[in-house]
Amino acid sequence: MVPSMDPSHSPLQPSPSPSASPSSTSTNIRIWKPAAQRNLRNQWSKLANLRHKWTASSSSGRSHATSLVNSFLSQRYMDGMELGVLSDMPDIKKKACLKLSKQQANHQNKFLSAYKDMVAVVVQMISVSKSMRCYNKVSASSPLAQFSSSTENENDNGDGGGTPVFKFWSIASFEEMAEEIIQMFTSELTLKRLLVMALVSAGDKKVPQLSELNWSDEFYSGEFSDLGACELLLSSEPIFPSLSGGKTNTDVMQHVYQINREVLQVYLTTWFVEVNIDRYRVDEIFAIVGEEMHVILA
Amino acid sequence: MENIVKKYQQRFRKVKEEMVKWEELQSCLVSQFVNASSIIQRLQIIQDCKNYGVLRCIEGIQVAVLAKQMDSLDSILLSMSKTMEDFQAVVSTIEKIVHDSAQLSKGGSAHLTSKQMQQRVGLKPSVVDCLDGLNLIADMHRSEYKLKETVVSTLAELALKPSACGDLVSLQRLLVDQPNISMDEVQNLLEIIFAEEIC
Repeated sequence: MVPSMDPSHSPLQPSPSPSASPSSTSTNIRIWKPAAQRNLRNQWSKLANLRHKWTASSSSGRSHATSLVNSFLSQRYMDGMELGVLSDMPDIKKKACLKLSKQQANHQNKFLSAYKDMVAVVVQMISVSKSMRCYNKVSASSPLAQFSSSTENENDNGDGGGTPVFKFWSIASFEEMAEEIIQMFTSELTLKRLLVMALVSAGDKKVPQLSELNWSDEFYSGEFSDLGACELLLSSEPIFPSLSGGKTNTDVMQHVYQINREVLQVYLTTWFVEVNIDRYRVDEIFAIVGEEMHVILA
Repeated sequence: MENIVKKYQQRFRKVKEEMVKWEELQSCLVSQFVNASSIIQRLQIIQDCKNYGVLRCIEGIQVAVLAKQMDSLDSILLSMSKTMEDFQAVVSTIEKIVHDSAQLSKGGSAHLTSKQMQQRVGLKPSVVDCLDGLNLIADMHRSEYKLKETVVSTLAELALKPSACGDLVSLQRLLVDQPNISMDEVQNLLEIIFAEEIC
């Protein structure tokens, strides 16, 4: 698949920014290009790294979630367990349950910290996507052209007046591609948040070490400021997960659900299939962007 | 005579290399099978919207999860058929070696009498030992390949009716056991062929 063929979105189209920016004279652009190219290569290789970090955190989250579920299920089925020769030991089941709930609390913490890592990854992805432009640095003292990542002149869009940076694409086209990736990861992050809530709250409410989470709680301190950076807060509440084009019925969220083996299995499956992330498309984007920049983004 | 036996031993070395390849493919196929069967066992659960708990608040979640799993299952089944092609290549290579070896004793100037064929010099195997051995190994792998073909196609059928989880367990057993290949027999055979090297 080639990036969207709709002419209005075509990456071949120069961005519609005004050509009056100071960087648009041909000499300036010649100097600007190498700096812009270096910056884009850096940002995209960061993005590629972040993607791998996400995968690592997601899979460690998966394994902690699995342990969490297993210790939860072992406690639940403890009553019916046949302990054979051990059943003569006083309070054996009670002790085993206590130990299991301690383990469960431990898994909960690790699981939450994997979630925290995933939020951090998305925050960094967004900051990378906002750092694709390269601005002229106004400096009277130095005769050398310098560039910075933030604008110092309101006429400077940091995109070389929409000129192609390597072969065909303007800065705006690179940003569009990054945006498409980030869209997938932010959607997946809200879904993961719901799963974190559901899995962490699956524990026995009577055990004091175990936490219970509600949607409007901060899952770790500082979470809301991170979610704000991902534009995932709406009037200081995390926005609900939804699939592209689909709705979310928040009334359903208030229900109390029976938690059984099957439901937990569906939660774990939903965790690792990552419905919002089209792996092939992400690979493809990195491949075509890498081709445009003459680098391999692996 | 001795030269011919040496040539046969050479063929056995090649066959041994193919058997090493076979083992690598075997562990690859087993892990593909395990992955596919764990998805198949989940299919029924993830098709039932009752099992979605709080996720039910997201419209379309069940369809999306199922689609992702079917996608993975498809690609695993595809890689399994690729592995099967590699197995077939191993079988053909072994068969070709055996076929060429049969020519060794018949063709050219070295036309052997049946007495010569059965003659053992010292620890060296006879030509008949070599020929029978090679044929045995080829037969084992050919039959095992056919069995694997059946197992893999049955797996694909089970994907469509995931109620038969018990069958998956026995299929996996069959795949892991490789009932047509007796490693003891192969080992004994190689000990005869390479007796002088072992001493």
